[in-house]
Amino acid sequence: MNYTLSIDTSAGTSVSLQHNGRLVAEVEYLENMKHAERIGASIAEVLKTAGVDPRRISAVVVGRGPAPFTGLRIGIAAGMMFAEGSGAKLFGVVSLDAIAKAALGGAAGDAGASESPASQVLSSQVSADRPLLVTADARRSEVYWALYSGLNEHGVPVRIDGPGVIKPAALEELLAARGIDPIRTQLPVAARQLTALFEAQLADGSASHDVTALYLREADATVPRDLREAGKKVSG
Amino acid sequence: MTGPAIRIATEADLENIMVLEHECFATDAWSRQNMHFEIMAHHTTYAVIYEDDKLIAYAGLSKVPGSEQSDIQTIAVSPAARGRGLGKALMVHLIGEARKQHATDMFLEVRADNPVAQSLYLGLGFEHIDTRKNYYQPDGIDAWVMRLQFAKASVGREPIVLGIESSCDETGVGIVRGNTLLANVISSSMDEHARFGGVVPEIAARAHLEALQPTLREALRVANLSLQDIDAIAVTNGPGLGGALMVGIGAAKALAVSLDKPIYAVNHLVGHVGVDILERGKLETPTIALLVSGGHTSLLLVRDLLNDVELLGETIDDAAGEAFDKVARVLGLKYPGGPEIDRAAATGDPKAIRFPRGLTQPKDMEKHRYDFSFSGLKTAVARWVEVAEAKGEPFNVADVAASFREAVVDVLVTKAVNACVAHNVPRLLLGGGVVANARLREVAAERCAQHGIELRIPAFSLCTDNGAMIAALGAQLIMDGRQPSSLNFGSESTLPVTTVQSL
Repeated sequence: MNYTLSIDTSAGTSVSLQHNGRLVAEVEYLENMKHAERIGASIAEVLKTAGVDPRRISAVVVGRGPAPFTGLRIGIAAGMMFAEGSGAKLFGVVSLDAIAKAALGGAAGDAGASESPASQVLSSQVSADRPLLVTADARRSEVYWALYSGLNEHGVPVRIDGPGVIKPAALEELLAARGIDPIRTQLPVAARQLTALFEAQLADGSASHDVTALYLREADATVPRDLREAGKKVSG
Repeated sequence: MTGPAIRIATEADLENIMVLEHECFATDAWSRQNMHFEIMAHHTTYAVIYEDDKLIAYAGLSKVPGSEQSDIQTIAVSPAARGRGLGKALMVHLIGEARKQHATDMFLEVRADNPVAQSLYLGLGFEHIDTRKNYYQPDGIDAWVMRLQFAKASVGREPIVLGIESSCDETGVGIVRGNTLLANVISSSMDEHARFGGVVPEIAARAHLEALQPTLREALRVANLSLQDIDAIAVTNGPGLGGALMVGIGAAKALAVSLDKPIYAVNHLVGHVGVDILERGKLETPTIALLVSGGHTSLLLVRDLLNDVELLGETIDDAAGEAFDKVARVLGLKYPGGPEIDRAAATGDPKAIRFPRGLTQPKDMEKHRYDFSFSGLKTAVARWVEVAEAKGEPFNVADVAASFREAVVDVLVTKAVNACVAHNVPRLLLGGGVVANARLREVAAERCAQHGIELRIPAFSLCTDNGAMIAALGAQLIMDGRQPSSLNFGSESTLPVTTVQSL
């Protein structure tokens, strides 16, 4: 009845189709390139594998990053347009939150929904004092990061800081200064984890239609010197 | 539509048809009497193609009123004119005729020993449904019976195509039905680039993502259509800014998959040329096309929109639009520079300063006859202003702007007109955002009139980057019976004009 198509291009190209929480089909390229080449065929493939007509998709969930811009945009653009064409509702999730969800597993006390036995162990170890640190490659010798104190009663990761972008050394300084020794994960994000998070958010009432890309960096552009000077003249 | 001029045969064509009939069908030509009946009958349509007053191809369609079936009676192409797509052009034309007459199917017979013709028909969507033994006499050759079901094929029908353009700083969504424009909505991020004095690729790409959904919805609203009415998606996959192109490509592919419709990846520059179809119903060929924008300065020789576009020359450094932007900065004018310089130049003397004309020296003619260079001109203007300022001499900005503009326009138009003359092409088509420049239009009109060249300047909304031109090119490909692109194409920042469609 309820098919959810999830798309994440914050690292590789990952597309999944779930039916009432059960994974029906997925395509995953870990390589962080060729998103534009792969996105269309990946979506077509999960639909074909599952034998599902696009009009039966009720929700499209896209990963908003933070992530390197070029690839990230392709997944969001694709999700947006798939929703337009299929009539599905469009939702966005923070990709780092989906990684946290995968690391922490199901809702507290909801063993059946946990991602894996390992994640349950992890979940029981995480707290506000010993949070989960999720990091992902941001290129240019930086990482994207966020801290989580655990899951709420609906299984939604509780983000207590971030998302941000920072040099690894600066992140360590920041953690040390706060006296935090986090549990760390660098799991790659997969589209099916977006769906797991989205379903918890639905139960929680925090599912969001916001699909704006989380760039966390200004566009690379410098104002030419002559224009800066011209600006000074005007203000002076 | 492009390609050869096809017209309906009359009785006056009979003698020419009989000559070609005997040339093509040595052993089983129709009699003159039969052919006369065929051409004149009410239920038939015969189409002919002439070249230099010589009949080079013809074909006949039979469609009896009240019947839903149509038949191709015969098709012949002069041996000397084969391999040029004339047979296909005739077929596409007659399929369109049959559709207009409400046929649902088309049948034909083809010799079992003619694989060239068979592959043409298969390519158009015909299926081999039966074989008739010893059908062709006296040779005793079998006939393949082939059928095209119009409901399954797009050939000859006016397809509704939605085009997405995102190669630079304009997000464009256009919708056409065949050669007819239904919507052309453009969202520009130009203002966001103003403080940088030029297009910033990352800012353009971000703006595309934000503009995509509202631009699409507005185009559908203008066309009064829903996405379910769309027959195919077309998208620019190059040339252009990689990151910007990829937003459009990701969007177009997902849209095509969600609607279960074919996708066509098309060339941005060829789109600029093909847009004339939306105003005139067809593209007159051959034509020289001069495409001038902030990203391109290209001179093309277009013999056929889909099959023969040749790059004669292009800029070897800055695009003309970039030169306007940079010189505007030197003169303390705003971005985008084109309109600002146009305004400043209005009261100036274009002959006040003789700025250099790049790549116009005799020594340039061998390698760069049709290429452009504007970076030297930009430097010359900057130097001139520096010198004047150093001397403390007051100078007239209007004269500098007018003289600079004259140098750009002079080179552009001179090279374009030279190309028309050298290639004996009596047409010049302008495209690209710089076409908004009043002086460019004026000088082009003057010089074209002097040389007896017909000048075409599409409406400005069709000259700047837009989705309608992409949709129009997609529609041309479909009506020509081209296969859709796969879902695997990527962005091609330097896609050559010879690649009209990326598969």
